[in-house]
Amino acid sequence: MSDPVLDVKHLSTSFFTDDGEVKAVRDVSLQLYPGETLGIVGESGCGKSVTAMSVLGLVQRPGRVVAGEILFKGRDLLKVPSDELRQVRGRDIAMIFQDPLSSMNPVLRVGFQIDEAMYAHDKIPKEQVHSRDVELLKQVRVPDAVNRLRDYPHQFSGGMRQRAMIAMGLSNKPQILIADEPTTALDVTVQAQILELLRDLNQQLGTSIILITHNLGVVAGLCTRVIVMYAGEIVEEGPVEQIFEHPQHPYTWSLLRSLPRIDANRKDRLRSIEGLPPDLIDPPPGCEFSPRCPFRIERCFSEDPDLAEVAPRQHAACWVTMDRAYAEMNAGSITDTRPGAASGVRPPKDLEPSAAETAETAMQSEPEPVGADEQA
Amino acid sequence: MTRGTLVYIVQRAVLIAFTVLVVSFGVFYVVHSLPGNAFISDRLHGRALQLLLHQYGLDQPIIIQYWNWLKGAIHGDLGISLVTRGAAVTPIVMQELSVSAMVGGAALVFTVGLGLLFGVLAAIRQNTWVDYLFTTFAVIGYSVPSFVIGSLGILVFAQWLNTVTSGAVYYPLPWQGTYGGGGISTLISISLPAISIGLYTSGQITRITRASMLEVTQQDYIRTARAKGLRARVITIRHALRNALVPVMSIMPSTVLGILTGVLVIENIYGIPGLGKEFVESIFTHDYNLTVGVFTIYTVLIGVANLAVDLLYAVVDPRIRY
Amino acid sequence: MATTVISPDTDVVTEYAGGTLAREQVSLWRDGLRRLRRNKLAVIAMVFLVLLALETVVSLFWTPYDPNLVGACPTYAFPSAQHLMGCDDLGRDELSRVMVGTQVSLAVGLATAFVVLVVGVLVGLIAGYLRGWIDALISLIINIFYGVPPILPAIALYVLLGRSVQNIIIAISATAWMDMARLVRGQALSIREREYVEAARSSGSKTRKILFTHVFPNALGPIIVQATFSIPIAILTAAFLTFLGFGVPPPQADWGGIASEGLQSLQAGFDPYILLFPSIAISLTLLAFNFFGDGLRDAFDPRQKR
Repeated sequence: MSDPVLDVKHLSTSFFTDDGEVKAVRDVSLQLYPGETLGIVGESGCGKSVTAMSVLGLVQRPGRVVAGEILFKGRDLLKVPSDELRQVRGRDIAMIFQDPLSSMNPVLRVGFQIDEAMYAHDKIPKEQVHSRDVELLKQVRVPDAVNRLRDYPHQFSGGMRQRAMIAMGLSNKPQILIADEPTTALDVTVQAQILELLRDLNQQLGTSIILITHNLGVVAGLCTRVIVMYAGEIVEEGPVEQIFEHPQHPYTWSLLRSLPRIDANRKDRLRSIEGLPPDLIDPPPGCEFSPRCPFRIERCFSEDPDLAEVAPRQHAACWVTMDRAYAEMNAGSITDTRPGAASGVRPPKDLEPSAAETAETAMQSEPEPVGADEQA
Repeated sequence: MTRGTLVYIVQRAVLIAFTVLVVSFGVFYVVHSLPGNAFISDRLHGRALQLLLHQYGLDQPIIIQYWNWLKGAIHGDLGISLVTRGAAVTPIVMQELSVSAMVGGAALVFTVGLGLLFGVLAAIRQNTWVDYLFTTFAVIGYSVPSFVIGSLGILVFAQWLNTVTSGAVYYPLPWQGTYGGGGISTLISISLPAISIGLYTSGQITRITRASMLEVTQQDYIRTARAKGLRARVITIRHALRNALVPVMSIMPSTVLGILTGVLVIENIYGIPGLGKEFVESIFTHDYNLTVGVFTIYTVLIGVANLAVDLLYAVVDPRIRY
Repeated sequence: MATTVISPDTDVVTEYAGGTLAREQVSLWRDGLRRLRRNKLAVIAMVFLVLLALETVVSLFWTPYDPNLVGACPTYAFPSAQHLMGCDDLGRDELSRVMVGTQVSLAVGLATAFVVLVVGVLVGLIAGYLRGWIDALISLIINIFYGVPPILPAIALYVLLGRSVQNIIIAISATAWMDMARLVRGQALSIREREYVEAARSSGSKTRKILFTHVFPNALGPIIVQATFSIPIAILTAAFLTFLGFGVPPPQADWGGIASEGLQSLQAGFDPYILLFPSIAISLTLLAFNFFGDGLRDAFDPRQKR
């Protein structure tokens, strides 16, 4: 395995608000290898976007990176002078965002905004900038590229805008492209086109891509490796097929279970994970998923597990892991996924009752859903 | 220049013409209804007075008088001054217009420049002493009437400076600017009046610019600009300020109005021979034709200025189409 | 992001999003008043204005000296313990004159605001809600005068009507109501499209009732703010008028007139006190109204997130 092109070590980023320090990213380490597409997946607020923004130094007040190293081309991006970091942005590592309409300046022409990305750095010679932006738009499959360059963002359609954003991102031939929820604001059909585009660009240009999303389907469609984040920490990571077929962390497992399936029985209820993500100002001791985990054990409440190898090239941060859950807790035919339901473990007395507990007691009076068949 | 824009301009021109019509008639009527006239004095009364009035057509019904005036006005002839016998109104008014335009223009440049500068600085240094300083300055700006500033200006620059330096440094009063001319002395002559006028509206511009900049810098496209690796100054000016200008444009019409009002007042303080001074004077001397003439020119001026602002609005914000 | 926390004294789960605890619904008024009270600058301004009003009432009955008494003190006297603001060119006590000047300013300010409120709101509501030819006519009138600086017709009207405080009020109000009408018209135009208005209309409510129970209350926020700001604008315009020489007839004193006398005496080589004191008075008053208006706007603008 070659050296990673981006090596993030023990990154921690917090937001210092009036209510306290919100620990948005806690001790996150990840590597990105040349030419790969890495997905970062997790629900809203799990820290995936903040991680990406931290890499490029885009975190604004009141947020701040508090610890860690971000190694790129032998330099720690957290320690380089700001001018050097500015050069890295857009030239070596590019980032595109979720809503292409609000992400583009409404009063400037699209062509200008793409040119601007190139003029800001020295990689593309000035004479080539104009011809290159036509080439870029063609590469991202925007029809009638020459005329489109003179238009304003509001004259583009949603999908075209995102393609233009991708063109902007790739204009300086960066080694890494970070895409933060690039398809969330788009129609499903356009989503598929954009993903296909990204895949082709990755293969043709060799650009490494980090794709941030909360949509597991998107990850399956594009990425080779995936990282699952929860409450500011990485809970699992590994090759996409392995993760999808044999998730080891209960959170990943629950996520995959919650996906509606087209071949499921129509009368079945949608399965969700009970409870809500924890408060990042005062995270629970131990594993952050313990208040909601069906398979928790005693140890989960007091010790926060580190990432450990659970299969070749796959790591999960769990004391139990799904292998054991299937073996000992009957995870294969489970129907009740409320916290602690499968393991029978309740939180120790000295811990404050969490919301999930209260939800649990509230739910006990509810009758078992009729006809809830388990579709494996 | 699209066809839609041309249509818009024509529509506005029609509105301006209509406004001028209504307003000029209104002023004409009001002024001619005033008691007294330009000719009354101890010497002139009785028959001689009547003859004089007749000569100027002042004994005819107002409608007829207006109609005669209007016929002339369309050709650019605004009548004859009743006080300065025989002097045509139009050239007088035009000359004064150039003076007022100079002062007003300088005030406009000053107010927008200062307002934008302070607003941007206050925004990028939000909640620091810089911010509080400029914001307070802005509020004081639009709370202190321009005649106060103008008077203080005279106090400080015309009197104290003169006294303190024993006449070595002095502020040129009264007005020494040449008509339509340039030169350093003109610039200096304009500066104090322009500042007195412009300070008032610059306060409002500062506040709106600041608020607008604060909002704009939260926008996603600023995040994109930073991710592209653009320099901070480029981001502030080309991306943030450009967008922040849009709400600022929306108060431009009232800024222009404020400047015009200020010009009127300041001209009277500083003795600047512009439209404002003429207006006030002509009312005191019952020189009807001049009053109506000045008022008419004012109206046209404002109509054109507002139209210019609206067209500029479309330039600043390309999402606007007429 | 929604997080869940148990508040320490109860077992009730209070769900909150984004870190702010959601309280029970408070009415716009109570919330706005609370915000206003917290705005120190606005509170100071309010106190100042109340004091000013008190002083105006007092001046109706008593001033240190008779403001029109010529020769009450030596002409151009320096401020002293006996004459806190000095004396003017005719030997009249400045302080008394400035105190009396408040009457004119406040009268003009408040009266204009009243006219603006009544006429402007009414016209705006009718134009915006009823639309059609009424709206076209009203909008035409407003658009015509949109381009005229209010001071011009004010001067013309004032000179026509003759000099008195009432006529200043009339002259200024004549164009001041238009800004309010335009604002209210815009509000009415958008409010009339809302569902509850449609519901009221289709259930047969009379137009007058709809206007006053639905449209007007919902536009109240911007209306109040605009009305508050119309006061300093009116006072300023009145000051301009009186400064330029179209003053109130003697014996009534007013700030603009005093300032104008002050400027003349300044240019004649005397001390600037006659000019300074009314200028400070005007500036402070305008400042207070502006701070107060700002405070009102910040407190009652629902878009503000603090």
